[in-house]
Amino acid sequence: MALKRSHVPQSAEPEPAPQLVSLPELIEQLAHADAGERRLAALALLNHQQAAPLLIEHLKSEPSAVVREAVFTTLARLGDPAALTGLARCLSSEDANLRNGAIETLKLLPEQTATIIPRLLADSNSDVRILTISILESLRHPFVEQWLVDVIESDPHLNVCGAALDLLVEVGGPESLGSIQRVKQRFIAEPYIQFAADLAMKRIKQG
Amino acid sequence: MSDPTAITDAEFQKFREFFYRKTGISFDDSKRYFVDRRLADRIKATLSDDFRSYFMLLRFQASGEECQLLTNEMTVNETYFFREDHHFDCLIQSILPAIVKRKSNKDPIRIWCMPSSSGEEPYSIAMCLLERWAGIHDWDVEIIASDIDTGILKRARAGLFSERSVRNVPPHMLRKYFTKSGHEFQICEDLREAVEFTRANLADPADTQNYKEFDVIFCRNLLIYFDDISRRTAADIFFNALNPGGFILLGHSESMSRISPIFSVRRFPEGIVYQKPVPIP
Repeated sequence: MALKRSHVPQSAEPEPAPQLVSLPELIEQLAHADAGERRLAALALLNHQQAAPLLIEHLKSEPSAVVREAVFTTLARLGDPAALTGLARCLSSEDANLRNGAIETLKLLPEQTATIIPRLLADSNSDVRILTISILESLRHPFVEQWLVDVIESDPHLNVCGAALDLLVEVGGPESLGSIQRVKQRFIAEPYIQFAADLAMKRIKQG
Repeated sequence: MSDPTAITDAEFQKFREFFYRKTGISFDDSKRYFVDRRLADRIKATLSDDFRSYFMLLRFQASGEECQLLTNEMTVNETYFFREDHHFDCLIQSILPAIVKRKSNKDPIRIWCMPSSSGEEPYSIAMCLLERWAGIHDWDVEIIASDIDTGILKRARAGLFSERSVRNVPPHMLRKYFTKSGHEFQICEDLREAVEFTRANLADPADTQNYKEFDVIFCRNLLIYFDDISRRTAADIFFNALNPGGFILLGHSESMSRISPIFSVRRFPEGIVYQKPVPIP
């Protein structure tokens, strides 16, 4: 026994390329009993423009974490409006894994996600608004501070404003100080908001 | 008169998007000087009038030759033998014993180095196996080393290294496996014959679909050049390429846990590596 030279067939040699598999075949494969097969189908669906709604629907019943990851990767690579809408809908799910996966995937798409942030921050469900702020935490986008300021100026929910203040501690600049003062006044009887606002102002003034 | 090789902000942006789509490598603004300099060199070398005409060549040349040449220029290939040597200790003392214990047949143990760069890593692995792993008498081992840069693969196959590159090779191995040739060191024919060098692009699934049934993947200091989505894509490719229970080793500043949760973390005495889970029967 020894070191042995191997040969890797190059991609030009015959083997069905993922993009050659048709949509109906991949849909069938996505329902396969074997998680490995479902994972390969989820990755291959990247080559089908209309795959996002299908993948989002599949996420609701997919038991395997590895397959779910493949679905999220494909959705991130698709990055189209249908993928974004579907991921945004996952933020309202009762399934924590689904919510977290959607948050992580949206963070991978800063430019595209930025287009839906105002809509998410206006969602009637306060949990969705709080999760949206957690997306902003690592979303590399120049409007993050302005979105947070808009939240503390107008959002009626204590915890949403608290989450925005927590993040302003890290990303806020002097332009935010007036809005922080005003949110303190709006929630004058809430000790947590008083604490978070004071901390944010202190950090911003320290530069 | 303005410099015909000068690149405007808009052109840099356009090139960056194109190159990212082609290779998965993303350049942020801090790499502007590095990118501009190489683009200017290729504009001159191809006798293009300016960036615009060069970009046309890059995009529409049927052979893709210029795109490959530029890719070769844009990739970073600085490495040396036995870099981050705790990984080689880990391979010998922990990973290979775990693989051998699990293997139910005598199929070869397969190791994939991505990127190959100029060959220091795959040749280091080969020497390590021959010098330090008793199992080499009982098992066949295949080493495949891949890179997107065809120029660097040519150098790797030639196996000629600088003094700086071999500075960490123990003297007895240097004597045994290299011949000094002027200021350079030529690696022996047996090792050059033992490693298969191939071109592969981690951003292109068609390029990697035939990379399968590996037991170990070395992918060190490559993913730091990728953006988040390309890293996840690469993680998926590695997952496809590994046998269940196979291992992947990343560079010291890289963490698979921050890229994708599909691998398990394995803490060995020599360091942290990542493992493709074995399905529960």
